[in-house]
Amino acid sequence: MHSQIVDFLNKNVPGCNPVINAPVAVVGDQSITVAAVNILEVCRALRSSPEFAFNVLQVITGTDYPDRIELSYILASYSKNLELILKTNLPRGDKNNLSKINSVVSVWSAANFQERETYDMIGVDFVGHPDFRRILCPYDWDGHPLRKDYVVQEKYLDMVVNPPAKNNTDDQMFGKRLKEELGDPKRVSASWKDNTAGADAAEAKDGE
Amino acid sequence: MSTHNENADKIILGDQEVLKSELLTLNMGPQHPATHGVLRVEIKTDSEIVVDAIPHLGYLHRCFEKHAENLDYRGVIPFVDRMDYLAAMSMEWGYALTVEKMLGTEVPKRAEYVRVLVAELQRIASHLVFFGTYGIDLGAFTVFLYCFEDREEILRLFEELSGARMLYNYIWIGGVWNDINDSQLNRVKAFCDRFEGELHKYHTLVGENKIFIGRTANVGIISEKMAFDFGATGPILRASGVKWDLRKNRPYSIYDKFDFDIPVGVGEKGTVGDCWDRYHVRVLEMFESIKIIRQVLDGIEEGPVMGKVPKIIKVPAGEIYMRTECPRGELGYHLISDGGKTPYRLKVKSSCFTHVSILPAIAPGLMIADMVASIGSIDIVLGEVDR
Amino acid sequence: METIHLKKHIEPELTFTKWFKNVYDAVKTTMIGMGITFKYVWARDVVTIEYPEVREELPANSRSRLYNDAENCISCLQCAVSCPVDCIYIAAVKRPTDAAKIKTKDGTPIRLDLKQYTIDTALCCYCGLCTTVCPTECLTHTTDYEFASYTLASMKYDYLAPDIRAWRTRIVKS
Repeated sequence: MHSQIVDFLNKNVPGCNPVINAPVAVVGDQSITVAAVNILEVCRALRSSPEFAFNVLQVITGTDYPDRIELSYILASYSKNLELILKTNLPRGDKNNLSKINSVVSVWSAANFQERETYDMIGVDFVGHPDFRRILCPYDWDGHPLRKDYVVQEKYLDMVVNPPAKNNTDDQMFGKRLKEELGDPKRVSASWKDNTAGADAAEAKDGE
Repeated sequence: MSTHNENADKIILGDQEVLKSELLTLNMGPQHPATHGVLRVEIKTDSEIVVDAIPHLGYLHRCFEKHAENLDYRGVIPFVDRMDYLAAMSMEWGYALTVEKMLGTEVPKRAEYVRVLVAELQRIASHLVFFGTYGIDLGAFTVFLYCFEDREEILRLFEELSGARMLYNYIWIGGVWNDINDSQLNRVKAFCDRFEGELHKYHTLVGENKIFIGRTANVGIISEKMAFDFGATGPILRASGVKWDLRKNRPYSIYDKFDFDIPVGVGEKGTVGDCWDRYHVRVLEMFESIKIIRQVLDGIEEGPVMGKVPKIIKVPAGEIYMRTECPRGELGYHLISDGGKTPYRLKVKSSCFTHVSILPAIAPGLMIADMVASIGSIDIVLGEVDR
Repeated sequence: METIHLKKHIEPELTFTKWFKNVYDAVKTTMIGMGITFKYVWARDVVTIEYPEVREELPANSRSRLYNDAENCISCLQCAVSCPVDCIYIAAVKRPTDAAKIKTKDGTPIRLDLKQYTIDTALCCYCGLCTTVCPTECLTHTTDYEFASYTLASMKYDYLAPDIRAWRTRIVKS
């Protein structure tokens, strides 16, 4: 099915460079990667094509990789019983300069909420979206949570996010204190993984 | 959906111009009995007629997908439960199937049967909550109590199986936690026999009532074209007249063994795709579930309920998208793995999230009271909308 | 000049006879419904459990309050590793080699002295993953469900403290 779609796209949307991504292992799904600038034409062609008829947009999702953001458009055809993962790569961009891509709301109305969620969570600017706002986070939230380098903002509307009083430091630090008291850290094993203090606590957790 | 201009000079309803007054903004929710959770719908009305409805989501947002990136594959299951807390079994099953397909795990036959059994019982339990609360939305209180009594019986069985009433953590990767015993199977059988008659009664009490029909027929119509456009799935798509059910059209697990029908909306009391059709499709689905449960009870095999799964689960690198049919629609898990102990990215396609986006499209032109009927008939669970 | 077009709610045409038929239907179907509910007045047993007076017994494998039998714990940290919300805090010290050998109930030698075993029940999600990995089955869910408390600090259960024994003996009758 995927090679037919690639042929179809080559014929109908010149310049979109469709490439089949074979699954890395023997398991999993195949997908097709297209050029980001052509996404609207590709979606429109796939929707209106009589042989595939992808009449439903299931979901738009993004994945944050160190060097790029990969958007996945998962399409389904209910008349032909097909399913397709359509992918496109974007530069990561930064907070003030999100990478842009054309919105596909004109093709499927379902894209409205999905694109808003992708913007909210991953941080991609969808050009031509009729109602472009955050959707799950508050409208004045800072940052995009599903990026791998996301750090929670310290203050939100004068409220401290994660106040130290709510942290159970007493119990978390018990193992560390014990190590200091005994003076022989190798004899102590503690469960709490201390992200700030470095590797030795983490090792104890992994080493069981 | 772009909103209408507040300063428009004229409002035309159908083909009649209505007397335009200043638009009134009304907040429905976040705490409103008819929104079934914390959904805020900002409604702009011209006297009693809704001009715009803008849903504001995120009051229950926990960013489960971020959590999942830091948890091992077994530890994700309790979080998955908390998405659609009224149908936690179905949520778990979808996740377990996704990971099993990537791992290539073979699930024992008995476990497959038990999974189908609990998932169908869960479907009944979930639809019973819809049935009861939809009655309350429209002013029929009695049926709510009846429905919850029947649901209680299912929950009690689940409690004996898994130890919890709502958030089960019962379906594990590779099988199910505990085996079901014969006396429990007999209880399910007795429940099916009793419940079938009860459900007929409930439907006569609510669904056939002229007042109920008056409130729901011809209200909030979702046409087939609109349903596809907005990506509606599950009972809403079927109520719009599309004969589509993943259990039949793309069978997963052992659903190809069972014989059941796909109920579709036919516009019996009004137009195809109205609130009454959505209600009726769910009622008919409960009957189909009973049919499947009876076949499970006949066909269940002896054997183990847990397959061979490594102690530390490492999913091979790659990606997968797996859809399952849940009580509220299709649930899809998009899992991207880099071969490590935790998922690299786990995206959930939630059907309720998609269904909320239909609301702004069907609301304009309705009365405020019809909004309640429409939101209720879409049957959203905010835990799944916000995730 | 801007205009808002709204779809009209479909209403079947109402004639004089239809109006009467609607009234008749409404009365009739409501009477049928009332008949169904009326039967429930006597034909059904009371299903409500009047809670503080009648306490329901939960099934044996019900997942309620956690209990760790600290004497049988070998401090393997498996429960803490499997916990999805990281609410179990354990610290243990290696036993000196010349100390007396001790064993758990099922014969597993204890090589570590347990110094801290605390579960923050306020964070616990009662998923049951910790109890399934426990090799000596010392960490179990009890069927005790009445443990609401007023402060967050009292939700922290230190299973090495002596007062924990008290509620264990209260709920386990045998």
